[in-house]
Amino acid sequence: MLFHTWPFFVFLLVVLPVFFALRKTRLWLPWLTVASYFFYGWWNPYYLILVVYSTLLDFCLVALMDHCPKAGQRVDVIARLTGLRFDDRVLKFAFLGSVLATIGIVLLASFGPKTLRPTMAVFGVIVLLMGLGALYSSRKIWLVISLVNNLALLLFFKYARFVAENLNGVFAWIHVPLHLPDPSALMPLGFQYLLPVGISFFTFQSLSYTIDFYLGNVHRERNFLRFATFVCFFPQLMAGPIERARHLLPQFYKFPEVRMQNFTDGASLFLVGLFKKLALANYLSFYVERVYDNPKAYGAPALILATVAFGWQIFFDFSGYTDMARGVAKLMGFNLILNFNNPYLSTGLGEFWSRWHISLSSWFRDYVYIPLGGNRHGSFETYRNLFITFFISGIWHGAAWTFVIWGVLHGLGVLITRELERSAVYRERVPKMIKQAGVFLFVSFTWIFFRAESLSDALLIVRRTFTAAWQNPYIPALMLGLVAVVWTYELLYESRFRELLKSSFVRVGGAVCMVLYLCLCSSGGGAFIYFQF
Amino acid sequence: METPSPAAKPPAVPPVPAGKEVPFGVNEVRLSARQWLATFVILGLVAMLTPRVWKRIQHFDTGPDYRMPYELSKDYWLYEQRLDQVAKPGTIVVLGDSVVWGEYVLPNGTLSHFLNQQAGQPDRFINGGINGLFPLAQEGLIDYYSGPLRHRKVIVHCNLLWMTSPKADLSTEKEEQFNHSRLVPQFSPWIPCYKADANERLSTLVQREVGFLQWVGHLQNAYFGQKSILSWTLEDDGGNPPRYPNAYRNPLAQISLTVPSAPADDPQRGPKSPRHKAWSTDGQGTTRFEWVDLDSSLQWRAFRRMIRQLRGRGNDVLVLLGPFNEHLLAEDNRPAYQKLRNGIAAWLAQNQIPAVVPEILPSELYADASHPLTEGYELLAKRIYSAENFRRWLE
Repeated sequence: MLFHTWPFFVFLLVVLPVFFALRKTRLWLPWLTVASYFFYGWWNPYYLILVVYSTLLDFCLVALMDHCPKAGQRVDVIARLTGLRFDDRVLKFAFLGSVLATIGIVLLASFGPKTLRPTMAVFGVIVLLMGLGALYSSRKIWLVISLVNNLALLLFFKYARFVAENLNGVFAWIHVPLHLPDPSALMPLGFQYLLPVGISFFTFQSLSYTIDFYLGNVHRERNFLRFATFVCFFPQLMAGPIERARHLLPQFYKFPEVRMQNFTDGASLFLVGLFKKLALANYLSFYVERVYDNPKAYGAPALILATVAFGWQIFFDFSGYTDMARGVAKLMGFNLILNFNNPYLSTGLGEFWSRWHISLSSWFRDYVYIPLGGNRHGSFETYRNLFITFFISGIWHGAAWTFVIWGVLHGLGVLITRELERSAVYRERVPKMIKQAGVFLFVSFTWIFFRAESLSDALLIVRRTFTAAWQNPYIPALMLGLVAVVWTYELLYESRFRELLKSSFVRVGGAVCMVLYLCLCSSGGGAFIYFQF
Repeated sequence: METPSPAAKPPAVPPVPAGKEVPFGVNEVRLSARQWLATFVILGLVAMLTPRVWKRIQHFDTGPDYRMPYELSKDYWLYEQRLDQVAKPGTIVVLGDSVVWGEYVLPNGTLSHFLNQQAGQPDRFINGGINGLFPLAQEGLIDYYSGPLRHRKVIVHCNLLWMTSPKADLSTEKEEQFNHSRLVPQFSPWIPCYKADANERLSTLVQREVGFLQWVGHLQNAYFGQKSILSWTLEDDGGNPPRYPNAYRNPLAQISLTVPSAPADDPQRGPKSPRHKAWSTDGQGTTRFEWVDLDSSLQWRAFRRMIRQLRGRGNDVLVLLGPFNEHLLAEDNRPAYQKLRNGIAAWLAQNQIPAVVPEILPSELYADASHPLTEGYELLAKRIYSAENFRRWLE
């Protein structure tokens, strides 16, 4: 269900009144869970199985982790194996459960439908690890299971085909008689092999909870419904922002305060998001699609403008989604974190990444960059860690070489400009506009790889950008005008003229213009770009 | 010994207090309750007044024999405005599909033109036909866009073409693309071959109810080639390589405040056009239609609902049944057709709805299964005018 569609409006018309009607009961939380599952199931009810499975497993893993000692403790494994002498009853049941589950898995794999075997093999590994976790009372093993499970889901649904195709290509190239099957052949019971919408978001969110618990940053959530709502909270389920347990979970402890400002702020955020998506992102997408679908047919100006237009399209699309998500959550009284902070006004690449998709950048910082060592071990290690983080960030966005290159380019860009951005000359002597333009140009250049259909298309676009003839780009003046208006607004927002934007005249006028523009010009809309990630 | 649960302890990192640290956003479009109220008032006024003012300032030249231009067939807002202009006491609007509209003929070759000729008055009968309309859509047109017709005399044409097959009846399960999908019932009754998603169906319902959005649809139809303004700026000229003539044009300059009219001498229509010819040279029919069962026909049910609705609005309704081109039917296909036609005539009689069931026209006066040629319309008008039922109804 997309935020900018009528079914979502109807959904909200049902969910909100019931939510507020239940405010004095305990049912408001189950209602949020049900609404969130309905929201997700509307897309494809089968995908719900994955969300529920991932949620349930992480909930149980943290509960089991909670029953293990934090510090290392010697465990008499032999006594546990032979006499089932466990200090903790829960761990004992977990061990017995793992053994029984293993038997069940073996039976199902042996006598059940053949298509179940690959799935059973994966479950077998997870159950085996669970048995070990219970046997050794090891928090680390429970964490590993969560990592394996979430990353396996992500890798299988998102990257398996990409990996299989590339490996098959390599095997053929080096004349090795091996051929990996298409991952669709591994799907159980004839289920279709499809990328579950938002899988990268809900797995990361769930994973952050287990990692944070392991690190002692959050305490265990004992209410399953509360945890399930945290993982699948419908405003941010499909495309973020990726929330942290310590920020969102406490908001589900009690019914949020009902305040008029929640409604007015929520509606304001939603309107801006709707405008960004329908009036700007969708409009820009028409031009970008035209040029990028057939780059050979266009001259350099069209390619350059389409690339710049894509930069704005993806910003409006994703930040529009975030605004709407934050607005819907705010209507109910919940606060989601800020995900975009006018990134195209950044004066350095490092700053860009602290303004663009903030929840993902900080996720990678906390769970990849810092565990790798961060900047604690000298320059070389810092640069290495930065590069690895950007590489992973690139591949997170999609299973294609274009995304890998996009991530690598950003990694290299940050490495090269890191010292420059710290220098006094850059900070004090270079005019802000020049720095902003430089960042924008670099980021726009990298978008070529992000948007192009294939690597060869991306390289063709790069080549033609510098070599093709200068022909009329036929970019609509209205499109350029709209982008100019938004850019000017952002510049004003970050300037000393910001007070002007706070006047009632500008606010009401802006809202009226946006609604009228949406009514007059909107041309419907497709899905959000980030849903595919 | 069991490991003590850390749940009793406070969390290692205190949670962010809800609503404290999270900034609103990175813009100043943050309206207070009063500002929202002001916004709603302004928007309400704009939405209410703009279509009304527009009706007054937009030049909409109609004149005798006017019919909705083919390009504006889906401009239902304009259709309503047209009805508003013509639905005066004494005028009779002829409602129907392209048979009434005149698919193969010029405006002065239509049924309403020849009925006016018979009546000796230029504006007694008004062409209220819309190209491509069928009963399921016509029901929606009457329901939502024909308010000005209340308490007026209307002639409704019943075209049996829409019952010639389950596909024409829209009762097949296989998805079909058809005209005027925004007029058909979106949820109930269910049309099995209409597979629009929930968003499209709901947006149709909203557009039907909000006059301002209908007006927006009119702008797009009348001035932007049935496209949204944004799509219009990206429109290509169809050449190779394509050019985009609207890229640098000002969209507002397109709005000329004059409704485009149909071409005076449409090369695709009228006696001089290559399409204006008899359906067959020998008039021998071999066509076998898969006539639908009247009781289960979606189109017939819609037609009945529409008649009831018109009568419920105080309209004095006369139904014109056919004349369908029976000449093209194979001999063994005629009984099914006759059964269907008789069933309709019986229902009309049973419900005391005045009806004219004209005699079939000569074969050479039909252009296809249901559309007469100019001379066919002329003959049909004469026959209608001479029908006892019609004269009684007219008086």
